[in-house]
Order: sequence, then structure tokens, then C-alpha cells
Amino acid sequence: MKNSDVNLSRRNLVAKAGLGAAAAVATATLPKPAKAEATDRTVQYAMVIDTRRCVGCHACSVACKAEFDVPLGETRSWVEYIEKGEYPNVSRQFLPRLCNQCSDPPCVRVCPTGATYKRKEDGIVVVDADICIGCKYCMQACPYDARFINPRTGTADKCDFCLHRVSQGIAPACVNTCQGRARIFGDMNDPDSEVAKLIATEPVTVLRQEMGTKPNVYYIAADHTDDGDARFQHQYLRVDTHRRAKERR
Amino acid sequence: MNEVFWGLPVISYLFLAGVGAGAYTVSASVLLRGGGGGFGHKHFQIARYGALLAPLPMMIGTGLIIFELGTFTAAFENGDFWLLFRWIRLFLTITMSPMSIGSWVLAVCILASLVYAYTFLSPDAKPGDDKSSLRLAMAWVGVPLGIAVAIYTGVMLGAMPSRPFWNSPVLVLLFLMSALSGGVAGILLLKAIFDHEPQTDDAGGTEPAGKIDRSSYLLSASDMILIGFELLAVFLFIMFTYLTVGAQKVAISVILPGGSLSMLFWVGVVLIGLLIPAIIELKYVLPTLLHKKVYTIPRRVEMIVALVVLFGGFLLRYVVVIGGQITGPVGI
Repeated sequence: MKNSDVNLSRRNLVAKAGLGAAAAVATATLPKPAKAEATDRTVQYAMVIDTRRCVGCHACSVACKAEFDVPLGETRSWVEYIEKGEYPNVSRQFLPRLCNQCSDPPCVRVCPTGATYKRKEDGIVVVDADICIGCKYCMQACPYDARFINPRTGTADKCDFCLHRVSQGIAPACVNTCQGRARIFGDMNDPDSEVAKLIATEPVTVLRQEMGTKPNVYYIAADHTDDGDARFQHQYLRVDTHRRAKERR
Repeated sequence: MNEVFWGLPVISYLFLAGVGAGAYTVSASVLLRGGGGGFGHKHFQIARYGALLAPLPMMIGTGLIIFELGTFTAAFENGDFWLLFRWIRLFLTITMSPMSIGSWVLAVCILASLVYAYTFLSPDAKPGDDKSSLRLAMAWVGVPLGIAVAIYTGVMLGAMPSRPFWNSPVLVLLFLMSALSGGVAGILLLKAIFDHEPQTDDAGGTEPAGKIDRSSYLLSASDMILIGFELLAVFLFIMFTYLTVGAQKVAISVILPGGSLSMLFWVGVVLIGLLIPAIIELKYVLPTLLHKKVYTIPRRVEMIVALVVLFGGFLLRYVVVIGGQITGPVGI
């Protein structure tokens, strides 16, 4: 009886092995061009902000506050006003700001616990509030001042491109609410997406490119003037950050 | 004005960890260099002061940075008890972050320094006693560990292009020299306070208490040399950032004449913390160095030199930590 059992199992084993091998060969050789294309390409969500369409209404800031119940005094998303020049040659530009979801994020490099990381599946930089210890190293490392300590949890917090919405296929709250459609959101790696087309066809810039962060928030017609430029150009400049930190870092 | 995320707890930590790590390294070096080499009993005594001092500032400093953690503050605000201990997460992993590596190095250094201090704890501790081999082992471990703790703080601050004031390799040299000099000053202070007994020199003769002290020559002379290197580091730190373009050049202006921290830096750090102790030490060390005279320094002067060096070390951390945070990248 034992022998027959053994024989049976051996026979089963051989049969199963054969099937397995056949299956393996089948999957390896099955031509699936569509799927192969989809898996080769990683998703990198990106935002293009067309400042020509921005009227500085702060709807995005408010939508963000409402979406996340961001504590008073803190901002995940904000709009800066840049006023410059002397009458009659004056201008007022608007610069919506948020986390740049960098492709080479300095905050991730310095995080001592691995609480902040860049998601492989969509390129969004997130903070795991259960692991973060609130050491503020990432806040020092971020050249965009995008991070803050959430007083409720004591951990680092920042814009995450509305991950909970985006993962359900809905646009981020700020994009959804933008009156002038100044914010365009999508997968940068999909050549048919609107962001990819805008990045390809418009003269886009990023903020603080020299920091080597490879940001994924692009701006069209952004005013990059800062205090140093204004001093050099001998012109009046006032930057209103509309956040607790009255000065840009 | 930019927001200052790292305030007094971090500044104090950088200073205290520097003094502790410096004291450990100096004590271990003195022990290894002088323990078996026939420098006599006094060098063992210096090593003992350093060994007993080293763990305290490191532990106090480490305790202080926990107050700066966001989770620690939030624990009191929302009553979540476990948030108090969130920092344990540091030791559940190791990443390439300078802070992660630094935390591990610091933890190991504190443990090693405690063991090292334990071997000196007995009042009868002397070279060649039963704890001698453990003591020597901890001394060998202590030299690299102390240096590692002293330099990791500089690497940690220097690792970020977003903080141009800190983003200089010279900062590491500056912090290392300041840590070693602070360690020497700490030992010198303890020695000046506790060493009242009549001194026994190598020949076995006794000298009046506090008047003639051959062993403190080593401390003062090495402190003087360390301060010299620190001045060099200050010079390099400023020159390299000043001679470049962009954010670093703008950031360094905060400590140059006209900058908001300029007074604190030049008067507090450079004049009081470096030049004055260096000149005092030079006055007492030079006759021995050049003319082989017997080294004498009043105890009170020794204490003042040590305190002034420690004060300058604290101010250096203050100026660097605050200066780095009130400056930022240029452009947008």
C-alpha cells in the first residue's frame, strides 16, 4: 500500500511537473504586446500648472484644507503672490505651490526610519505616519518647504497628490476645484496624457531645478523672480506666501 | 524670517554630543598613547577624567533631542502615550540617511563609553589592574567611535543642498575640531576642579598643589593645536563658501559683517571661543615648548580657558544651526 502510494504520488508529480513546464513555456512565449507595454511603462503622476490661467483665488488651497482637514496654520498647498515693478510698469503673478513629488526626493534620502518613500507604482512621495518619528530632517532637506509637522500626529505631513482620490481614478481636490483649469494632472509617462502633451509642447519650467530633485510639478509662464533678482534688478518685489512662513525659504 | 525647525534642544545636543565624543576620543588616545608608554600615572588620571565625563554629556544631549521630535510634542497634546516612544523606530531599521547611521553610531558610542567609564569607576583603578584589558579594548573602540559621532553631525547637516549654509564639507572638519577641543576642555575643567592633591612628578618629588603640573601641559598644548585647526576650519568654511556663486555665497553673508549672526560669530565664537583661549594657552605653553621650562598654569586660568572653550563650542553650534535655517536656496 505504501509502495503504491509512493508510485501514485510519483506519477502525479511527474504529470504535474510536465504540466508546470508546459505552462511555464506557454506564459514565456505567449505574445502579449499590449500587456507587455503596460508593464514596461511605470506611472509617474505629474502636474502642470499654467500660471496664465491662475487668478490667485485660493480655491485649491481651500479645497486641500477641506479634503485633508489640514490643521490651522499649516498648508499642503498654497498660492504665492508675486508683485513687482513700479507704477505703471507693474505685474502681479500667482504661483501655486505644492509638493513637487520629486523623482530624486531629498526628503526620502534623509529619512532615518524609511517613513517617507516614493511609491513605485505611481511616483507619489508619501509619508507613513505610523513610522515617522517627527525628527524634521525631511523638512530641512526639502528645497520647496513643502513639509510640516502635523500637530495632531506629530509626524511629517505634506501634499500627496490626493493619493486616496487618484488611486480611485479621481483627480486631486485642487485640480478638481480649479476655476480656471490652471492645474492639469495626469501620468507623465503616458504620451497621450494631457500633462505629457503640455510638457512636450509648452515652454515648461520647474522650481529650483539646480537642487537636482527632478520635480514632477511643471509650470507654464511661472515668475521665478526672487529677492536676490529684485535687488540685482533694482526693482520693487513683494512675495506674499499666504502661509505662516512669511518668507519663502 | 524662515522658520527654525531645530532649536535649542538640537543645538545643545550637537554641543554636548561633541564634548562627550571628544572627551571619549581624547581620553582613549591619552590612555593608548601614554598608558603603556611610560608617561606615568598622571596620564592615566587624565584618561580617567575623560572616561568618567564622556557618557554624561552624550546621554544628556541624546535625551534633549527627543524633546525636539514632533511625535514627542504631540504625545502631550493628544494624550497618545505611545508617541513618546516613537523614536524607537530609529533602531528598528538602518537606512543610508546620515541621521540613521548617526543614531546607531551614537548608541554604540554611548554604550562603549559607559563600559569604558565603568573600567575607571573604582578609585583604585590603575594601569595593569584586572579591568585593564577591557579598558584598553574600549579605548581602541573609543577613538574611531568618538570621531564618528563628532563627524556624523557635520555630515548630517552638510548633506542637504536645500540648506546652503550647511552644505559644505568643511563643516565636518569644523565640528570635529570643535568636538575634540571641547573634549579636552571638559577634561581640563574636571582636572582643574578635582585635582587638588600635591602633584607627584616622574621623579617622585612633590610639588605645591595647583602650581606646577606637568600633565596639564599635554592638555593645554593639544587644546591649543586643536584650536589652531579649528581656526583653519573656520577660515576654510568661510572662504570656500564666499568664493563660490549662488546660494552658498548668499547664505554665508549671514555670518559676515552685516549679517544677523555676524556679531555672535566673530565675537562669541572666534574671539571669545577660539582666539582668547588660544592666546592664554600660548602664553603658558610656549615657555615649555621653546625653552623646556617647567610648565606652570594657575588652576583658575585653567578653569577659565576650559569654560571659554566650551562656551565657544556651544555658540559655534548655535550660529551654525540657526544660520543654516534662516538662510535658504536662492531663486525659485
